[in-house]
Amino acid sequence: MIEKIVAPFYEGLEHHKILARKCKECGAIEFPPRYACNACGYHETEWVELSGKGKLTTMITPATLNSDPWNAKIGPYCYGIVELEEGVRINSTVFGVTKKKAKTLRNQLPLPVHAIFAERDGYTTLFFQIDEDVLA
Amino acid sequence: MVSGRVGKYQRSVSIIGVGMVPFCDMADHPEMEGLTEGEFFGTAALNAMADAGLEPRDVEFFYHGNANPKFHNDAATPNMQVAQWFGMGGKGSAHHSEACCTGYVALQEAVLDVASGAHDIVLSGCAELACGLPIKGKPAHIRKRLLLEDLIPDLEAIMDRAYTRALGGGHIGQDDWIDLYRTTYGLTDEQVDEVLNTMSYHGRRAAVLNPMAMHRTPFEELAKEAGYDDPMEYLRSPFNPKTTQYLRVTGNATNADGAACVIVCPTEMAHKFRKKPIEVLGIGSSSLELMVPHNEMEITKEAARQVYEVTGLTPDDIDLLFVNDFVLASQLCAAEEVGYLPRGEGWKWMLEGRCAFDGDRPINPHGGRTSYGHAFGVSGMADIYEAVLQLRGEAGAIQVKNHPKTAMLRGFGGGQNCCIPILKAVD
Ligand SMILES: [Zn+2]
Repeated sequence: MIEKIVAPFYEGLEHHKILARKCKECGAIEFPPRYACNACGYHETEWVELSGKGKLTTMITPATLNSDPWNAKIGPYCYGIVELEEGVRINSTVFGVTKKKAKTLRNQLPLPVHAIFAERDGYTTLFFQIDEDVLA
Repeated sequence: MVSGRVGKYQRSVSIIGVGMVPFCDMADHPEMEGLTEGEFFGTAALNAMADAGLEPRDVEFFYHGNANPKFHNDAATPNMQVAQWFGMGGKGSAHHSEACCTGYVALQEAVLDVASGAHDIVLSGCAELACGLPIKGKPAHIRKRLLLEDLIPDLEAIMDRAYTRALGGGHIGQDDWIDLYRTTYGLTDEQVDEVLNTMSYHGRRAAVLNPMAMHRTPFEELAKEAGYDDPMEYLRSPFNPKTTQYLRVTGNATNADGAACVIVCPTEMAHKFRKKPIEVLGIGSSSLELMVPHNEMEITKEAARQVYEVTGLTPDDIDLLFVNDFVLASQLCAAEEVGYLPRGEGWKWMLEGRCAFDGDRPINPHGGRTSYGHAFGVSGMADIYEAVLQLRGEAGAIQVKNHPKTAMLRGFGGGQNCCIPILKAVD
């Protein structure tokens, strides 16, 4: 039996659960989930669930060359590095950043973020959003 | 990421011939329009053979690379389809494809082949007709123009399909490294803009003088047409708008049609041929997918570490640096990462023009991707072509002034792969 990873990950997102893999040797979290560990090069990992809480550490505002009209339908957004509290770091799309606010927010980095889930063409995807109390 | 290593070759390998088809948009050049992949690759291959003083019968094996043969060429086995154009029908060959890193992987393939002892004389080339698209059911000389709406969806192909595309993690690449640089060294947005515009300006000065480059109109001339006396003022103007947070139009590479080839053999045989041999001392390599933070920086650091380790060289030994800069900012960031410029100081060197082709610490004396053009899979091989001319002292009007003996190439591309060869002129 070949262990399924991608389908269970997206099934998790449907239920607003973020699944990752944890290295059985070094304990690093592999996210998005895959079979092996890319922190230490060990072959075996196991399922863990992430909280979806973390911080945004960089902020790139989209422009003509890298904007995504589908994102804009959800709301104003930026691209940036998200660091989750379990130690995961990924490039991601983060909502709650208007062009107007970007300059001020950029000087306040890192900013707390939480996971949001969006329905897209037959699957659920995962983005992040700046915590509301920061934007208030 | 997990680090790697590269060992010494079983035997030393040198470049003995190079050939090219200049980068251009064929549709703008009636004398080029209607040429096909076979004619492009064939011309570059035969030019490389002539450069070395070889006939096709002397070459034992060839590698063929391009970024995306199905999309640009509607071919699954492009090596079979071009072999007879340069008299190598029946010889062994293989195709490889690594998006914009293809041209550097092309050198690696040929070097590993000869280093292993499998063949003595190997040709490796790349051809890309990146300004157009094939038309199903018509012969290769009939093509249609590639539009941005054709290209943008296809560029997704460099992103992981299981996760990165769906999770929106692949769009940060153009700005990520220069943003980190700005934050780390406390530059203002205006300073970053001035640095990038200065790099554009000097790149174009070189391209104007380079017969292989695509954009050969000086910024002085374009500025005048737009009503500016000062080319720098033009580069800062709405005529050159921002396309990302940091990059203006002139900070992005333009698609080009082009081809380039190299021929390698064991260094011990290399003196028998026409030109000064250029030894390939080693090639470091590392790759990381687009969702991994600062992936370009991480793989550049790792590949550089490997090649310094295996060659025993240090950044002080490097006389000339090429950086695949389809994102212009990479030129500065990568030059500091490989130790060619002092950390945090490179931006000042750029502003002072020290990294121009006629400066004391030259980078991309051919003009760089944004002025030279970007024929995707060919760009790396074109960098190697230009580095070989510089190391031979044959680069003409763009010959750098410090008589370079050793050159490093920071090859990069394809979502993302990094290959860093060090080349050295053999006395
Ligand atoms: Zn591990």
